Amino acid sequence: MPSNPYRTMRRQIMAVLLAFGLVPLLAMGAAGYVANRAAIETRTRNLLEAMVKNRKATIDLFLEDRMRDLELVAASFSAEALTDEARLDGLLAQLRREHGGIIDLGLIDSDGVHRAYVGPYNLRDRNYSDQEWFEHVMVQGRYESDVFLGFRRFPHMVMAVRKRDLGRDWVLRATIDTDMLSALVREGGIESGAEVFILNRAGEYQTAMAPHHVLMTKSDLGPLPVHSGVRVVTRRSAKNTEFIATTWLRGGAWVLVARQEAPGLGQLLNAHPAVLGVFVAGLVLVPVLARVVAVARLRQIRALERERANLFETAAQSQKMAAIGRLAASVAHEINNPLAIIDAQVGVLADSLDDLAGVGDASEWRLRLAKIAAQVDRARKVTHRLLGFSRRVGPDIEPVDVAAALEETISFVEREALASSIRIVREVERDVPLIRTSLAQVQQVFLNLINNAIDAVGAGGEVRIKVAAARDGVEVTIADNGPGIRPQDLDRIFEPFFSTKAGGGLHSGLGLAICKDVMQSLGGRISVTSTVGKGTCFTLWFPMEAEVGGVGTQAVARG
Amino acid sequence: MSELKLLLVDDEVEFLEPTAARLARRGIQCRAVASGDEALRALGEEAFHCAVVDVKMPGMDGLELLRRITRDYASVPVILLTGHASVELGVKGMELGAFEYLLKPVEFDLLLDTIRRAAALRST
Repeated sequence: MPSNPYRTMRRQIMAVLLAFGLVPLLAMGAAGYVANRAAIETRTRNLLEAMVKNRKATIDLFLEDRMRDLELVAASFSAEALTDEARLDGLLAQLRREHGGIIDLGLIDSDGVHRAYVGPYNLRDRNYSDQEWFEHVMVQGRYESDVFLGFRRFPHMVMAVRKRDLGRDWVLRATIDTDMLSALVREGGIESGAEVFILNRAGEYQTAMAPHHVLMTKSDLGPLPVHSGVRVVTRRSAKNTEFIATTWLRGGAWVLVARQEAPGLGQLLNAHPAVLGVFVAGLVLVPVLARVVAVARLRQIRALERERANLFETAAQSQKMAAIGRLAASVAHEINNPLAIIDAQVGVLADSLDDLAGVGDASEWRLRLAKIAAQVDRARKVTHRLLGFSRRVGPDIEPVDVAAALEETISFVEREALASSIRIVREVERDVPLIRTSLAQVQQVFLNLINNAIDAVGAGGEVRIKVAAARDGVEVTIADNGPGIRPQDLDRIFEPFFSTKAGGGLHSGLGLAICKDVMQSLGGRISVTSTVGKGTCFTLWFPMEAEVGGVGTQAVARG
Repeated sequence: MSELKLLLVDDEVEFLEPTAARLARRGIQCRAVASGDEALRALGEEAFHCAVVDVKMPGMDGLELLRRITRDYASVPVILLTGHASVELGVKGMELGAFEYLLKPVEFDLLLDTIRRAAALRST
C-alpha cells in the first residue's frame, strides 16, 4: 500500500528522529575518533622513535664490545701465542664465559691460511686469500660481516681484526652467534608491540622477530635510504597505516627497523570500553526510541483525526436536523392555520345543527361533521408531533422524576394501546434518583419511542418499559416484541427521513432522529439492539445533570 | 354571571368569523378585529374581560400587542393563540404576561375553558 498516509508519516517522523538522534552521536563519535587517533598516532611515533634510539645504543654497544674483545685479544697476545691452539682454546673459553656468543676463534696469516682454529668446525688450514672480507680486513684493519647461516643453519656473523707481529700481518677471526643480537633487538619489540628487526643495506633480514621474517631474504620494505639519526615515516596503504622508524647502525651497514600499525577503530574502542558502550547503546536506543515516539505520535494523530471525523459527522447531522426543523416548522404553521379555520367552520356547523334539531335527518349531518372533525384532529396530531411541540413551555432544566414523566407519557397513549390489546408493562426500580434535565424534551423522546413500539408490535403485542438507576444517571429501556429491525437497517434508523414503516401520514421518518438529537442535546445517549422476529430494545441513558448546550440542535423541538 | 366580553384578534378573517360565532353561541360577546391597531382602538372604546391574540400578524404582531395591552390595559388577560409552535415564542409570551399560550388548531372546549378561567381571574 504505497498510498497509506500513516505509514509514510511514520517513516517521516522516524527519519527525522533518527537524524536528530544519530547524527550528533555519529558526529561526536567521529570527532572523538579523529582526536583520539591523532593523539595515539603521535604517541606511537614518539614511542617508536625513543625505542629505536634506545635499541641502537644497545646494539652498537653489543657489537662494539665484541669487536673490542677481539682487538684486546689481538693486542694482548703475540702471534706465536695465538698460533698455539691450546692457548687459543683457553682464550675462547674465557671470552665465552665473560660475554657468551663467540662460537669459534682462529688466526690467519697474511697469505690467508688459517694457521690456528678452535671451535666446532674443522677450518684449520683453510685458505681465505681469495675472500673479499680477507682483503677488506687486511686493508681496513677490522671487519664485521653481515649475518649469514653457516653449515649448521644458524645465524651468525664474522668479526676480524688485523695484527702486526713478527714482521708480517695476521688476522684474528671470530664467529659471533647472533642469537644474542636478535634477542636484544626483539626485546624492544616486546616492550612496544612493534615489529623490530635489522636489515642490511640490500634490505635483507638480519634478525627475525615474526615468522615472516626469514633471515637473508628481502623484506617488503625494500632497500631503505641511508640517513643519520632516527627517522619515522608514516606509510598509508588501502589496507592500513603503519609507522616505520629507522636508524642506521655500524656506519650504514645495517638498519634497525621498528614498524607498527596505527591503531584501528577496534583498538581505539577497546581502549575505551565505556565510550564504546555509550556509543553502542546510543545506536541501539535511538532507533528504538524513534520508533516508540513515532508510533505514539501516529496514534495521537489518528485519534485526533477520528475525533475530527466524528465531530464532522455530528455537525453535518445537526445541520441537517436544523434545516429539517425549519422546514417542518414552516410547513406545520402553514397547515395549522387552515386547519384552525376548518375546525372553526365545522364547529359552527355542528352548533347550528343543534338549532335544526328535528328538521330532516340531522344525525347524518352530525356523523359526517364528526368525521371531518376527526380528520382535523388527526392532522393536528401530525403537525403537533412534527413540531415536537409540548404545551409545557420552556426547555428549563429542572429536577425530573423519570418514572413519573414516563407514566404521564404512557397515559397519553395507553388508551389507544389497550384498544388494540397491546399491553404496556412497567418495571420501575426503587430509589431511582431525580435527575436535572428538560422534562418536555425527555417526554418527547419517550412518546416517540413508545409510539414506535406500539406501532411495531401491533395487536396483542407487549411493550416492556424499565427504569433503573445507572452509573452516574438513569437508564430507561423500552422494548417491544415486534418483528425487529434488520441488521442492515439498524445503523440507519437514527438518520432523518429513514423509516421502515410502510406509508402512513403519521410517520415522518423524523421520530428517531429527533430522539437522538434531543438525547445528545441533554448529554445523554440512545442505543438500540434488535433481533428479527423477537423484537427491538431502545436503551436511553440520562446523566444526573443535563449538559445544556450539548451537540444536538433541538432544532425541531424549537421549531 | 354577566356576559363575558372578549376581544378576538387574528389577521385571518376566515378564522375570526366562525370562531366568534361559536363563542357568541356560548354566551361570550365577541369583538373580532383583524389587526393590532384595530385591537388597540377597540380597547380604547370599550372594556373587555379577556383578549385572544394571534401571534403572527402583519404589521403589529401579537407579542407587541400583548406588550401594549399589559402596559395600558393591565386588567385584560391575554391568551396567545398561534399556528406557529415555538418554545421560545411561548416562553417570551408568558414572560410578557400572557395568561396562556395555545396552539392552533385548538380544541374548542379548551379554548372556551381557558377564556373562562382568564375572565374569572380578571373579575376577582
